[in-house]
Amino acid sequence: MKSYINSYELLCDAGDVKALMDAIYAKESAITVDKTYIEDATAGLGIMQYEDIYTLLKEVVSKVLKESNLEDFHNTLLILGSSVGGMQECEEIFYAQKSYENIDPNRYSMNALTDYLEKEFGFYDSRAISTACTSSANAFVLAKRLIEAGAYENILVVGADGLCKSTVLGFYALSVLSGDKCRPFDKNRDGMNVAEAVAAILIQNQKKENSIELKGVGASSDAYHMTNPNPDASGAISSMQDALKDANLNPSDVEYINAHGTATIANDRVEAKAVEEIFGIDAFVSSTKAITGHTLGAAGAVEAIVSCEAIKRSLIPPQANLTELENKNINVPLEPVKMRVKNVMSNSFAFGGNNTSLIFGECI
Amino acid sequence: MKKVALNIVSSAKIFAPIKIENLNEKKLVPNMMLRRRLTRNAKVMLYLSDQCNFEGGKIVYGTCFSELEETAKIANSVLEKRLLSPTSFQNSVYNTAPSYFSIINKDRDEIITISSGMKTSLQTLKTAALQALISKQRVLCVCIECLNIKNIEQINRCADYLEAGAAVVLEVCDDEAVEVEQKQTDGIIGALQDIFSVVNMHENGKNKILMEL
Repeated sequence: MKSYINSYELLCDAGDVKALMDAIYAKESAITVDKTYIEDATAGLGIMQYEDIYTLLKEVVSKVLKESNLEDFHNTLLILGSSVGGMQECEEIFYAQKSYENIDPNRYSMNALTDYLEKEFGFYDSRAISTACTSSANAFVLAKRLIEAGAYENILVVGADGLCKSTVLGFYALSVLSGDKCRPFDKNRDGMNVAEAVAAILIQNQKKENSIELKGVGASSDAYHMTNPNPDASGAISSMQDALKDANLNPSDVEYINAHGTATIANDRVEAKAVEEIFGIDAFVSSTKAITGHTLGAAGAVEAIVSCEAIKRSLIPPQANLTELENKNINVPLEPVKMRVKNVMSNSFAFGGNNTSLIFGECI
Repeated sequence: MKKVALNIVSSAKIFAPIKIENLNEKKLVPNMMLRRRLTRNAKVMLYLSDQCNFEGGKIVYGTCFSELEETAKIANSVLEKRLLSPTSFQNSVYNTAPSYFSIINKDRDEIITISSGMKTSLQTLKTAALQALISKQRVLCVCIECLNIKNIEQINRCADYLEAGAAVVLEVCDDEAVEVEQKQTDGIIGALQDIFSVVNMHENGKNKILMEL
């Protein structure tokens, strides 16, 4: 049984899907240089204006339902990926009251978001995945396998993360946060931008007119270090090769790689090495985090949508904020490339050396 | 609804009212520097996986509240306007415990972490069943909650045992299997009840269970 992506929507700092793709092709970063989160320092952040994360979830999921062929989600499994879940609301209560007393434990964890969506939309069942920055990418891994196994006909993958003080300050403590707009794959890059987003994708076992196929998934662990990727890139190579194998494709079948590309020194060096080893200069590669920032647990879902749009529009996203490419043995386009895009690989890597690669392709 | 039959290869459980002692850390993690970085959840996970004789392969880990101690340290640092500890931050993510397992055991296979509230261990078991089905290999399913932080009484209204965990190694089988017997283990947080039920069945000689995907 094959997996087809039949409808999707997102909201991020750049706006909805259309606004995001316009920003990507125009190379207009949505990052704000913020002076409020960190004392005596700036931070490049992907900030959205909203009441609460639940409002965003309802808006995005409602749009996906409306665009789908479903009347409701009663026979749909919800798989949500998030790295902070309901922590945004709970940490604000704690900072204000200096006590846990008025924190509802059910509003703290990942399930705060799935519980809300289950109540609003009546999903058949739900599960929440939290593997840091691969959370929603891993939701696709499970979704594809569940559809292949014939367990479900409809699965809604949601990626959702709101900006939290603790994550912004945590990445700052790790010295990987850029004070400006991030510059993926640039020789002089100085770190990432933390950002927020909600994205939802309906995956079904039935093909529709404009379906994109989720062709392959691959996952691995570095088994090396909690935050630094293995410099030999073996973990990233493994997940990328596993995805190719699962899709029954060769590297030459992939036209574009939507990179994890956080713009940290370590990630981009290792990911470029992995891309160089598998694809050389035969596939285009860029990181759209230069536009959105790193939406953490939502990134896999956001970038899955970008990958689908690149296929539908036959237009490869260019790399924004790139002045001098560090690894010259990979093919990073500075302008949009108009060409038939049959297959796209999307990479997500996370703390703990958790690696996930997804392959999306046109339906034949 | 599709169900698969699973053979329980091995199982283990552990719990304590305040803090689990004797987790065999020195034997399991001889490297002192690495041992000192381990979180409570990671120490419990290393103990349980050792008890299950699991040395590597796919892991499905479940935790509702994850690394509460590290998260509390971060929240207090933010509150007191102190610089956050980079180690606490890297140790605060939900996949910390299985990641330490993979680093220590050089396990390069897939790790999935599930956090589904009071259904966490049920959803973790379902995901482990899927991973066992697609890989045709043995999968470690392990769920842990370590809630032993300062002032936890301000918020804890459901668990008598502040540290608890359970693990099973599962493989797909063709044998006749039975539904999981839902017997509440008193004092254990709801998030762990389903996996405790499975471990209890295994301890009582029932090795084949049915699990919905």
